[in-house]
Amino acid sequence: MSSDVRFTDFKSDKQPTWCPGCGDFGTMNGMMKGLAETGNDPDNTFVVAGIGCSGKIGTYMHSYALHGVHGRALPVGTGVKMARPDIEVMVAGGDGDGYSIGAGHFVHAVRRNVDMSYVVMDNRIYGLTKGQASPTSRSDFETSTTPEGPKQPPVNPLALALASGASFIAQSFASDALRHQEIIEEAIEHDGFGFVNVFSPCVTFNDVDTYDYFRDSLVDLQEEGHDPNDYEAAKEVILDSDKEYQGVMYQDDESVPYHEQHGVTEDMSEIPDGAPEDAMDLVREFY
Amino acid sequence: MAEDLNWAVGGEAGDGIDSTGKIFAQALSRAGRHVFTSKDFASRIRGGYTAYKIRTSVEDVQSVVDRLDILVALTQRTIDENLDELHDGSAVIYDGERSWEAEIPDEVEAVDVPLKSIAEDAGGAIMRNIVALGAACEITGFDVEYLDEALEKRFGGKGSKIVENNKEAARLGQEYVQEHYDLDHLGYNVETTDNDYVLLNGDEAIGMGAIAAGCRFYAGYPITPATNVMEYLTGRIEDYGGHVVQAEDELSAINMALGGARAGARSMTATSGPGIDLMTETFGLIATSETPLVIVDVMRSGPSTGMPTKQEQGDLNMTLYGGHGEIPRFVVAPTTIAECFWKTVEAFNYAEKYQTPVYVVSDLALAVTEQTFEPDVFDMDDVEIDRGKLVDDDEVDEWLDAQGRFRAHAVTDDGISPRAKPGTVDGAHMSTGLEHDELGRRTEEEDERVQQVDKRYRKVETAQNEEDWDYREFGDEDADNLVISWGSNEGALIEALDYLEDDGVDVRVISVPYIFPRPDLSDEIEAAEETIVVECNATGQFADVIEHDALTRVKRINKYTGVRFKADELAEQIVDQLSEEVPAQ
Ligand SMILES: Cc1ncc(C[n+]2csc(CCOP(=O)(O)OP(=O)(O)O)c2C)c(N)n1
Ligand code: SF4
Repeated sequence: MSSDVRFTDFKSDKQPTWCPGCGDFGTMNGMMKGLAETGNDPDNTFVVAGIGCSGKIGTYMHSYALHGVHGRALPVGTGVKMARPDIEVMVAGGDGDGYSIGAGHFVHAVRRNVDMSYVVMDNRIYGLTKGQASPTSRSDFETSTTPEGPKQPPVNPLALALASGASFIAQSFASDALRHQEIIEEAIEHDGFGFVNVFSPCVTFNDVDTYDYFRDSLVDLQEEGHDPNDYEAAKEVILDSDKEYQGVMYQDDESVPYHEQHGVTEDMSEIPDGAPEDAMDLVREFY
Repeated sequence: MAEDLNWAVGGEAGDGIDSTGKIFAQALSRAGRHVFTSKDFASRIRGGYTAYKIRTSVEDVQSVVDRLDILVALTQRTIDENLDELHDGSAVIYDGERSWEAEIPDEVEAVDVPLKSIAEDAGGAIMRNIVALGAACEITGFDVEYLDEALEKRFGGKGSKIVENNKEAARLGQEYVQEHYDLDHLGYNVETTDNDYVLLNGDEAIGMGAIAAGCRFYAGYPITPATNVMEYLTGRIEDYGGHVVQAEDELSAINMALGGARAGARSMTATSGPGIDLMTETFGLIATSETPLVIVDVMRSGPSTGMPTKQEQGDLNMTLYGGHGEIPRFVVAPTTIAECFWKTVEAFNYAEKYQTPVYVVSDLALAVTEQTFEPDVFDMDDVEIDRGKLVDDDEVDEWLDAQGRFRAHAVTDDGISPRAKPGTVDGAHMSTGLEHDELGRRTEEEDERVQQVDKRYRKVETAQNEEDWDYREFGDEDADNLVISWGSNEGALIEALDYLEDDGVDVRVISVPYIFPRPDLSDEIEAAEETIVVECNATGQFADVIEHDALTRVKRINKYTGVRFKADELAEQIVDQLSEEVPAQ
């Protein structure tokens, strides 16, 4: 791994087709800078992306990458990390991808504490399918499929993560470039599942959860002196639905990632030319 | 046919039927006898009839028969279920002290052994089944010392006291029969040999094949009858530097396995029909992203939840055609327990050589049946590993474009592109389920689309030419009558040949372990006067593809009762079919 990796090394030569002004530009820049800043290199990084406007991120970045099927990015990331603990794994997707079709996997990836970072571009809408309600849409948010609003409370992904036993929970805002990058770096460096919900506005379909809205309402936890090691304090801000927060809500410093708990340390891609040397033992067991 | 002994133990689920049967099977195997077991179980954990049957001989046995010599009955239902199979000369061992009046047919020897009280004398009622095994040894003239060996193997881990108690229970059972019965007239005298056999089932063979082939990462979700693959790997694959994840569902399992495979590890998942349904979307992604992955489908009776503990071969169409769009794939189907091992090894090589998903299609009959083999059958020196076009740091250069980008989906003559695993310098690339160009980047450009589709199918052509998509053959090579089979029916068919010979019917049997690519059987069918395809499903899915390949109609024998074919039954049906008219063209 070379020390002179720059964030542009993580950029592919494919021009993003996101709408001008989409929050995903800022989210991606922070991810690339975060990866470079934490000493990673495209040849030692694996990015898994979901499906949605957000999921296109894998195409615009340069690294080993898989752009999978809708909602299943986290299991793919888990497989990569288990087979290759030596590889940096980052998973990215949208709120629909992660909290709707993929919600089951979210709970279990959190609970397993797989050592990877998970970046969700939360625009509170389905972008790629052109503006339907998402699990984080407000209950009165009018869309093509919910003309009077979904009439159900939005999912609180941070609370879902906390309840699932998360070891790192954070939230950032795509247009607060420095803070966003900082938070991504912390997620990457965390030993375990580094979850970051990113407010990443959809300028085309969501005229409520806009840049202005977040700029005006965001409270920065670290400026407020919040201690992420304090579980009770974390619970309080995570369950507080009156305010929008950014920063690291919770971090467990004792966190032991899944592969370490299971004693997985080897690169599983290296195998002998034939059966393992003592493979006949497997047969003898059946005597 | 050799002197067989057919033995069974039956009772309620939860009565320890399975372990009792397994211990006896192991004892017989230790004694150098061939063993073939079958299980009859209901889809519940406690209650419900369950039985474990053993057919054993000094000669090779590969199927079940409709005959029972010794039956250990823990319930009346055990006797009732097996009435047809009992004969004069059979013995039923039961516990008359228990609160049931055993109704046993007159011509059958009723051997009343106070199993429970004897077991209590030996140290605990739980050993009543072992008392019954001791009794069975006495009746069959089988040396109880072999049972001791099996008990040591089974209980050794639990301490010598438990082992000794169990041996004592067996001795007491044996002595009881000796003192109270004279059954010499039944004429059983179980011969032993010096052979050392191994005894295993199809799921275990698949798991063992996976480790031998270098599989290191397995993700799965429990489902009958595939769970045993995961249970086998757990606790063993770690010894070889691997790991098993029990995923939250099949969607996750296959995506995890996909992740492992893209990370460069030989990876696998195993499930049964309903799980394959859930995995199908990702199956397309695996093919499009050209990821080497082995997916095992241990078929059970469907559709939907169907009959989870019953035999069927109903998933052929799904593994062959399942998924939206057009998906190149390989489908191999072991025909024996030994082949469960070898086809799994092959599957990993096909997966990596051709960078495709490979289905290993097994079935419940293979999965839950145990059979003895010479250990050499699994000679690990014969395991070959071919990782295909996996490039290292030095070889990457060849595959870079003018801008230095790795062409992970390079269009090649043989359809096979280079593969770089993470960590390979300059090999970084994107893979996707979207149609893509040579670099893995999304495209909807007409030429590129066609090139990639053709390229992916060209791999299949290459494989068709380069590999042996062979079949196995039995019976009379020159016979006019051809019987074609796939999956677990092979054993019963081979034994059916003996019955057919007695009837003066010559048959050539072809057993096909490859569904796609598969051998072209047109010439064989052409040469035969009559062709019959045998399979455990209602519609004849393999018969359909055979008809399609050979452009002719074939006869069919289909069984979809949930129970595997028996040799004598097959022989009868083959004779019946041969006398029928050929179906209209
Ligand atoms: C199995 C399946 N169902 C539905 C879709 C269609 N689909 C594509 S993206 C998407 C929603 C994406 O929303 P979100 O995750 O919020 O991402 P965004 O586009 O807003 O970034 C849906 C429903 C699909 N691709 N696959
Ligand atoms: S539709 Fe919304 S989320 Fe999608 S690219 Fe445009 S702005 Fe971004």
